[in-house]
Amino acid sequence: MNYFPDEVIEHIFDFISSHKDRNSISLVSKSWHKIERCSRKRVFIGNCYAINPERLIQRFPSLRSLTLKGKPHFADFNLVPHEWGGFVHPWIVALAKARVELEELRLKRMVVSDESLELLSRSFASFKSLVLVSCEGFTTDGLASVATNCRHLRELDLQENEIDDHRGQWLNCFPQSSTALTSLNFSCLKGETNLAALERLVARSPNLESLKVNRAVPLDALTRLMSCAPQLVDLGVGSYENEPDQESFMKLMAAIKKCTSLRSLSGFSEVTPLCLTAFYPICQNLTSLNLSYAAEIQGNHLIRFIQFCKRLQRLWILDSIGDKGLEVVASTCKELQELRVFPSDLHDEEDNDTAVTEIGLVAISAGCPKLHSLLYFCKQMTNAALITVAKNCPNFIRFRLCILEPNKPDHTTSQSLDEGFGAIVQACKGLRRLSLSGLLTDKVFLYIGMYAEQLEMLSIAFAGDTDKGMLYVLNGCKKMRKLEIRDSPFGNTALLADVDKYRTMRSLWMSSCEVTLGGCKRLARNAPWLNVEIINENENNDLMMERNEEDEREKVDRLYLYRTVVGARKDAPPCVTIL
Amino acid sequence: MEKDGLELEITELRLGLPGRDVTEKMMKKRGFTEMIMTSSGSNSEQCESGVVSSGVDVEKVNETPAVKTQVVGWPPVCSYRRKNSCKEVSTTKVGLGYVKVSMDGVPYLRKMDLGSNQGYDDLAFALDKLFGFHGIGVALKDGDNCEYVTIYEDKDGDWMLAGDVPWGMFIESCRRLRIMKRSEATGFGLQPRGVNE
Repeated sequence: MNYFPDEVIEHIFDFISSHKDRNSISLVSKSWHKIERCSRKRVFIGNCYAINPERLIQRFPSLRSLTLKGKPHFADFNLVPHEWGGFVHPWIVALAKARVELEELRLKRMVVSDESLELLSRSFASFKSLVLVSCEGFTTDGLASVATNCRHLRELDLQENEIDDHRGQWLNCFPQSSTALTSLNFSCLKGETNLAALERLVARSPNLESLKVNRAVPLDALTRLMSCAPQLVDLGVGSYENEPDQESFMKLMAAIKKCTSLRSLSGFSEVTPLCLTAFYPICQNLTSLNLSYAAEIQGNHLIRFIQFCKRLQRLWILDSIGDKGLEVVASTCKELQELRVFPSDLHDEEDNDTAVTEIGLVAISAGCPKLHSLLYFCKQMTNAALITVAKNCPNFIRFRLCILEPNKPDHTTSQSLDEGFGAIVQACKGLRRLSLSGLLTDKVFLYIGMYAEQLEMLSIAFAGDTDKGMLYVLNGCKKMRKLEIRDSPFGNTALLADVDKYRTMRSLWMSSCEVTLGGCKRLARNAPWLNVEIINENENNDLMMERNEEDEREKVDRLYLYRTVVGARKDAPPCVTIL
Repeated sequence: MEKDGLELEITELRLGLPGRDVTEKMMKKRGFTEMIMTSSGSNSEQCESGVVSSGVDVEKVNETPAVKTQVVGWPPVCSYRRKNSCKEVSTTKVGLGYVKVSMDGVPYLRKMDLGSNQGYDDLAFALDKLFGFHGIGVALKDGDNCEYVTIYEDKDGDWMLAGDVPWGMFIESCRRLRIMKRSEATGFGLQPRGVNE
């Protein structure tokens, strides 16, 4: 290959898009490294503090698309203080300054301000796509800047963000000449929507394939939107808590019938049973269905709906569907690949008879051979069930099981669930992500270390007995990238046993475990290429650092460590100490 | 059942993540089960490892033992989903939300639209109708003489006695209602009157 001119090699590299592959290419030789980095268009950075924007731009001058992730995963569960970090602003400033021709920005768990969005919208003339997932810190004013200034915007996708809705006219800000939209998702906005502006925008966007509206878009508006966008492939609807009258219902159904390209349906923060039936005509085409926000709808209505969805590949649903409902899913949805069953009762208000159990899971595993991704909240589980599931579905890539009550044993034998999870990791040779729950001893970690060869992400809560548990995982799982542990008795011995292991991992999170300040300090000393962050919301950290040696035995509330090439970050808040 | 033991534990639960002061490793692991207020009443040990997300009271409804929601960040449902699950009543628009109403001794929950009532009197009447029981209304109006008390959970997660605050403020902050026997209410941990605003 070295006899070919660079342009030819570059052209060949164009066919290689996966980040992993391109990273491998760049390691082959100096010349390949150079060609690769100069031609690289898309970069993925899993931890925004592992590198800084200047070095990124230096290495990849032709950057067009950047994906950044900020806060650690457990931030989703309120375990990370609000002000922890993950600010996108310095990145946008640096990219703008270097005149990078940025076209696409995808952020997850980052803090985004209106100022950042304004700067973004003014700095990149070819900007096409903004995807924000679980971000916060901005308002609809920021969206207005993006709408106004990004003349070539094709995609604006806002998923599960905390956005301050100023009920302004951001939808009006899309210029008349803006006709390039392919994807618009503002389902997480809480305020009222300018319906007229939305309808005009949709009407002049012939390429719009994905539209997800917020709660405030009523039924008649939805009907009009669907009527002028029958080409939609992906639709997210609003909230419909009142039964429609006959005429509205007929109009809605007529509009829906025309949307023959519709493959994905979501939204439904509230939906009446009748409303749901209006969608029956397109059920048979659906490959993706998300009814997981429709808390008020009863299981039998869900079941009736799903019976028509024979081509479903992805299903997100609430546990109100019950085991019986899952049996229907198992017999109907033979193409199912991904299933997520969320808990409908988060306040323990009812003695929830309809919540799902191991019965539903076993039924699914038996009926859906293509299943590879699972997130399952249930009230009980057994080893026998897990062993059966493992036998039925050896193709799991993601397996996340959450038994609602921590430390709950197998409810038929009162034993731990070590054997059940052991069967999963042994059978599913391609398993990349695993979340554990229920009563678990060190043994489950022995199994994981032994069998889970492809495991990249592991989430542990209220599990294990001794440091041996964590050590089995660290020693055994060669491909581990993200390990997150809470409320488990792992301490300094496990933490410090193999410091170099953390070179191969993106990050480690440990909260309410047994690691001490002394242990963390020792780790930080032995691994200067790690940022070892201690998060302690309850005290002034100056006080913490002044304490004498005895307090080295003080247990650490929350520890977050990650490899980095740019040293300690400068934007940490007072509650975070970087050792 | 040690109701009094129950409230003692509530006040002794510490506002911190578990593991800070636990002396025994085993207690660490069993720490969560000790937070569970089981009907066995064997809660002589202090629940030092108890974690309470601020404002959530331990609610003991008849004999069901498992208390699943007392730990920060558990179950691991992301906060966006928690906030937007319909079980949380939206307070941005008056009357937009239905609240769940539970009554001691009645095995199922009811839902009602608070906004469809004009005031506490209306609410009293509606509650009576909801449960087919003519004592609840009295509870609201003439609290001290009734067998039942009407309490509500506000948006901070605190349980308050219904009827104290102006109606408008009440429907803005009420997340759910509970009609509780007066005898059960005394150890419950209601916020004292006037604690907010």
